[in-house]
Amino acid sequence: MKRKINFLIALLLYGVCLVSAQQDFSVSGVVTDASDGSPLIGVSVQVKGAAKGTITDVAGKYSLNASIGTKLVFTFIGMQKQEIVVKNKIINVVLQTDSKMLGEVVAVGYGTVKRVDLTTAQTSVSAKEMEKTVNTTLEQALQGRAAGVYITQNSGQPGGGISVAIRGVSSLNGSTEPLYVIDGIQTPGEQVSYGTTSSANPLSGLNPSDIEDVQVLQGPSATALYGSRATNGVVLITTKRGKAGDSKITYNFSYSLQTPPERMDVMNLPQYAQMVNEFHSIVSGTSPQEFADPSILGNGTDWQKELFRNSAMIKHQISLSGGNDKTTYYLSTEYLNQDGVAAGSGFDRFGMRLNVDTKPRTWLKMGANTSFNQTFEKLSTSSEDIITNALQQTPQVPVRNLDGSYAGGDLINGASNYAPVNPVAIANLVTNNNTRRQFNGGANIDVDILPGLTFRTSLNGNINTQNSIYFSPLLKIGWYIHDPATMSDYNGVGTYYSLNELLQYVKQFGKHNIDLMVSHEVQESTYKGNGANETTFLTNDIIDLNAGDPSTATVTGGHNSWAMESYLGRFNYNYAEKYLISASVRSDGSSNFGQDNRWGTFPAISGAWRASKEPWFNVPVINELKLRLETGTTGNQGGSGIYSPMAAAPSQWGTGFLPSQYANPDLKWESTLTDNIGLNTSFFNNRIQFEADYYHKVTDNLLMQAALPAYMGTEGNGAPAAPTVNLGSLQNDGWAFTLITTNINTRDFKWESNFNISGFKTKILKFNNNAETLDRTSWWMQNWTQRSSVGQAPWLFLGYKTDGIFQSVDEINKSAVPVDAKGNRLPTDPADVWVGDVKYKDISGPNGKPDGKIDSYDLTAIGNPWPKAFGGFTNTFTYKGLELSILLTYSYGNDIYNYIKMIDSNPNEINIGRNLLVSAENYAKLATNANGEVYLTNPGTNLPRISYSNNGNWTRFSDRWVEDGSYIKVKNISLAYNIPSSLISKQKVIKSLRLMLSAQNLYTLTKYTGYDPEVGAYVGNNAASNNQAIGVDNGRYPLTAVYTFNIMVNF
Amino acid sequence: MKNLKYSWIAIFITILIFTGCSADFLNRPPVDAITDANFYKTDAEVMSATALLYNRVWFDYNDKASYEIGDFRGGTAFNPYNSLGYVKFNLTGDDPDMNAGWDAFFTVIGQSNLAIQNIKKYAGAAVTEPIKTEAIAEARFMRACAYRNLVMCWGPVPIIENNQTVLTDTTIARNTVQSIWRFLTAEMRACANDLPEKGYNVGRVTKWSAEGMLARFYLTRAGVESENGVRNQAFLDSAKYYSDRVIRLSGKSLLPDYASLFKYPYNNNSESLFELEWVYSTIWGVSNSAPAYLAFSPDIANGDGWGGAVGATWWMLQKYEGINAIGTTGDTLKGRTLDQRLHATFMLPGASYPEISQRITLPNGNDSIQRLIYPNNVTAQVSTVAIKKYICGKAADMGGQASSQHYPNDTYMLRLAEMYLIYAEAELGNQTQTSDGTAIAYFNTIHTRAGLGAIVKGFITADDIFNERIIEFSMEGMSMYDLSSLYYYNPTKALAILNSQDRGLFAVYPDVFPNPTQWTFIKTPWDNPNTTPDRLINAYDGNFYLPIPTTELAGSPNLLKPPVDYYNKSK
Repeated sequence: MKRKINFLIALLLYGVCLVSAQQDFSVSGVVTDASDGSPLIGVSVQVKGAAKGTITDVAGKYSLNASIGTKLVFTFIGMQKQEIVVKNKIINVVLQTDSKMLGEVVAVGYGTVKRVDLTTAQTSVSAKEMEKTVNTTLEQALQGRAAGVYITQNSGQPGGGISVAIRGVSSLNGSTEPLYVIDGIQTPGEQVSYGTTSSANPLSGLNPSDIEDVQVLQGPSATALYGSRATNGVVLITTKRGKAGDSKITYNFSYSLQTPPERMDVMNLPQYAQMVNEFHSIVSGTSPQEFADPSILGNGTDWQKELFRNSAMIKHQISLSGGNDKTTYYLSTEYLNQDGVAAGSGFDRFGMRLNVDTKPRTWLKMGANTSFNQTFEKLSTSSEDIITNALQQTPQVPVRNLDGSYAGGDLINGASNYAPVNPVAIANLVTNNNTRRQFNGGANIDVDILPGLTFRTSLNGNINTQNSIYFSPLLKIGWYIHDPATMSDYNGVGTYYSLNELLQYVKQFGKHNIDLMVSHEVQESTYKGNGANETTFLTNDIIDLNAGDPSTATVTGGHNSWAMESYLGRFNYNYAEKYLISASVRSDGSSNFGQDNRWGTFPAISGAWRASKEPWFNVPVINELKLRLETGTTGNQGGSGIYSPMAAAPSQWGTGFLPSQYANPDLKWESTLTDNIGLNTSFFNNRIQFEADYYHKVTDNLLMQAALPAYMGTEGNGAPAAPTVNLGSLQNDGWAFTLITTNINTRDFKWESNFNISGFKTKILKFNNNAETLDRTSWWMQNWTQRSSVGQAPWLFLGYKTDGIFQSVDEINKSAVPVDAKGNRLPTDPADVWVGDVKYKDISGPNGKPDGKIDSYDLTAIGNPWPKAFGGFTNTFTYKGLELSILLTYSYGNDIYNYIKMIDSNPNEINIGRNLLVSAENYAKLATNANGEVYLTNPGTNLPRISYSNNGNWTRFSDRWVEDGSYIKVKNISLAYNIPSSLISKQKVIKSLRLMLSAQNLYTLTKYTGYDPEVGAYVGNNAASNNQAIGVDNGRYPLTAVYTFNIMVNF
Repeated sequence: MKNLKYSWIAIFITILIFTGCSADFLNRPPVDAITDANFYKTDAEVMSATALLYNRVWFDYNDKASYEIGDFRGGTAFNPYNSLGYVKFNLTGDDPDMNAGWDAFFTVIGQSNLAIQNIKKYAGAAVTEPIKTEAIAEARFMRACAYRNLVMCWGPVPIIENNQTVLTDTTIARNTVQSIWRFLTAEMRACANDLPEKGYNVGRVTKWSAEGMLARFYLTRAGVESENGVRNQAFLDSAKYYSDRVIRLSGKSLLPDYASLFKYPYNNNSESLFELEWVYSTIWGVSNSAPAYLAFSPDIANGDGWGGAVGATWWMLQKYEGINAIGTTGDTLKGRTLDQRLHATFMLPGASYPEISQRITLPNGNDSIQRLIYPNNVTAQVSTVAIKKYICGKAADMGGQASSQHYPNDTYMLRLAEMYLIYAEAELGNQTQTSDGTAIAYFNTIHTRAGLGAIVKGFITADDIFNERIIEFSMEGMSMYDLSSLYYYNPTKALAILNSQDRGLFAVYPDVFPNPTQWTFIKTPWDNPNTTPDRLINAYDGNFYLPIPTTELAGSPNLLKPPVDYYNKSK
């Protein structure tokens, strides 16, 4: 091959000599790839209008004769064409990837279409964009880059989970996660499940570097093709594949330094001691002797400093791709290792992928994707509430005793047995590891039967295993004793396959273009898990069931399967790429439903008009003007609920059984009807592209577990779960704008921007029973509750509105106050309602009017976790080989319930050995004046007095802890440098070299007073997908600044 | 081209093969659990469907609410730092433990209802009629017990006999206290009729359990239906009738030694009429977890033992014969008691319990195990009279059958001793005192078993019986229910008792250590009634009953509707 090229070059050179007698002169240069600066081989270079041309050599060099003033045309598959007027003898050209070209083909459900022919709302994120940020998982890469996609990082825990909501809140059953289709494998975005592995992220196995392209299907016409699983939107992921041509070897290494969060201002030892003394002087009790004079105490332990640390993340990735005109391949291997900034967390991943495509006959194509990955997550930080405990641990306890053992509250250190257990010790001693291994494989065959008629069959599947180990060793830390050691070891195996046959007919009759597809699909998945628990381990070093006492062993099982059969079809028609229409229908039969409601049908239709293609359209600055209209139905099949399984448990007389759920054999599909109107425009030679969408979605027969009052007996231990029901309906109205501009484009300098903004408004229309509200209560946070009410957005914070602090007895007597169990006003005295207590607002009463009583009628919505608008803003500056990229993400108008601040501001907590925020010192302080009237010495305070009064100062949730969660975050700044090919070309081994420095989560502009306003959904131990608290900060693992150095080498 | 044609045909066949799966492909009942419709097919299956009504469904109540409501709120025990809503009698509707109790009672009701409905609906031909009758009666028994606790803690609550028919009905109103008690006695009479004299297994409720419970129900209902503080004589007579039957005919007998009622293993002994049947298992919800929060130290427990601050109240201790006030200030008690129930219920400093092992730290720093001496072999003075009842020690003391929050020892729900005191109280009825021979004999049976001498004054009064009950059943979650029973016919007295209870801190000094012969109790000076509300509570009509959980009220405003008569809804 190489010899051939050399020969060709020689021939060309010879030609150049021959024609040198003419007026032309020799032009030469190097053609490189803009994305990584590597030389492009085989680029066609032609003199425009003449039959003269050449191609670039292995070093990307070309040379030919041309006369001044003529144009050279550079073309290469997948790159934007460039025309350059000959002025100099040396013309170096940088070709841009053709991602934004209108001729581009994009992936859609069960096929591809030309971007210009899209009739639906769909956003794309390319590999090039994603590579600018430090991503351990896929969803992180999407944040801020796709309009309409609301992503919140629920936890800064390495590899931790993320919530993705496409186009608003589509379901009340907790799962708003989209369907991910990775090279044809359909994977529903999972949510947390109750237990110690709840903070694990099921999508963390996919290496973001293997992704070529992500398409977020948003419009109903696109998503309806995924029918019953598509209501939450669909994310189509295409992994990288080889390209014909010389093989390309790329090595990528990055080192990241992750930094601790900014310190929350909790009390040091003198402040803490002072507070303890004050508490005891008010409530009674004795303070430790050593607290007598706080000023002589040292600072005590700074638990945040002890827990958080700088930590490293490294990633190695090597990939090999290439092929010839018949067969192409892509092979990659990755190793990622990330330590957490908090002790007890970490993530690593090993993965490899091989994608092969071949065309052995003119009528036959075959392809295969295989990938294997293994992820390892350390989850103790989240499962043991380490961060909350670090914020609340008293500074009087050291991390370690003088003998080196971990210290805790005991007689020596003084803290009571209500103080948290040493969080550093627990983070280091409790093992909570989750290992997943996943094998994905698929093969497909395309047969061209007749011209235009293709049959494709594809078989995709995966096998995944999970092993989670939880080991709590024999511990004695201060008063805390964990004896004996306990261990649980859980193994699960899941399988999935899908078989799809598809017939497609594409034909052009004059200006009529037809694309018809019909398909049949079968999917099946199974899951089986076994868990074993054991106690009494003689050593803490061997973490294996063999090391425990077999007589203490218990086991659990579990097994389920699911299946779905579908028929689907789509008809695309366009006239001269000007009038476009697309109609599709899918019919799904799911095992989640009983015989009568098993099948659901999901039709969609969409149309587009490209006004810019009309002959009368003569606006030179507008290159594209397309109007889109679409409507369609998608579904949600939820989980199972048509049976009532009997749950077994031990009794004194052998195994006993209780129904574990109320069955609902009449369960049916949840369906969503979406109308969408959209606009695609581009101006000034595509230098400005603008896309807008507005949608209206109505979801009916919402599937979820019925929210029953506790008196229905579905809440306690051993209770039957409430039935799954078709609960009601809700609607979403939303909009999304994307503006992509090339602001400056000179030869050496380029400035490009991508701005997107979107918003949604979700409203609950009705519930099918006569209830008007639906509550989601977090029992692990003192029953903190979020409520969904008809006519409002889902999951608003429920609580009381407040009006400051009572300043005088007189004020109390004139105000509404809480009532006793009989509904009578609590007396005005220090044990009930007193000066320095919280004053609640009387909102309503039994007759819908304020009644002078503070009771459950006054509970109201005090905060809304959903933003009014959110999005991202990317600016990329390119100067020669340098590229600077800045990504801002933002969210506006969402509220956060700062639960951790509420707890850590409660001065009474000092009595149980909890540290507090420094601001808690400003609790209401009472004094009596000469007339015997009680008043506050610090009337401006917003913190109630120290007392356990009946007013519920610290047990009633109120707007006092609701904060504005709006923010603008400098998500990423990266500076990349492509070493010039002139330097590289001096040696033969390396073809291109790119260096990058980046900083992530650098700065956040916000009014929020917690660690980080990007709160998302609660993922701790107690979270279940139907009960995940949204927008509440309870010591969440914060996102912190990360500094990365990256080097990418092409060989 | 020929190839193409063949592939055409091949593909057609492929499509035909795969198109249209068999109907079973989409028919997937659970593979890891049997479904309700396929269960209840044999006698054994039916009885296994009521087995967990004895443990799992009660778990959330037994866990903490049982002693917090029954003893902390009732004034027999306290924790000065936690569970303050119970100790200070100012619980709000947000308390998680109280909510857990509410949830548990309604879970008992819901699962009992399901058992009744499912057995009726699905029991196969192979199930014998007596088994069906017994199982349904067991479920009705459990449901009635849960309602009894609900009505005594919260007052009016809704009666639900079939959850499935009203699952999404949000208009349900509470039922009146009177109609709930009518329902309870009617149900328990049916149980007494349907339950066999000997249960399907040892420990299952029997006819005698139901009659015993009926005695308890009638005694309380006599107060519910009282007029001007005069209890209903017919119901008093019924209580007397049934308690006497159980004493004489049930074949049950008192254990000779009170302490052995709570020494493991004691489950299903001859005194037991109904108990929660816990098992040792690492599965959450079928073991007894309460000892975890009551044992005073991890040194005598299994990684738990978080009850270091839980102890008897001053009010409780001064009820024991022999522990008397000294001086005139009322802040010192001194003495010892012959009442063996004190040692079996609470731990005084220096008291030893050879059945429980205790980890101690030797002077050289090493750990060692000794037979329990409270609080250890070094410290003499304590500020907590720790809980002994139901504390059975480490796994080694219980045949390996214990781990943190998982204990196998049962919780008494009704034991024969109560029958003796019910008889005495029912006989006393509305009189100020009684000299009835049987009543006095029954009273003395209980009194003397504890190691005390028989009452010699020739009569007994209501206070005698009340005090005897408080001592006999202390830490069995009873005192608040006793006060609730009293409140029905004499609210003034019930509130007066509550408001007289000293719930403040005090310190205890043994005269010698270990093996003291007497103790001195001194109120902690800074915990003074004149400066803080700590020692005394303010109980009144408005807080006597527990508030309905806030979240429950907020989600179900129908619970705020006035209660209606269960039997005459329009009333």
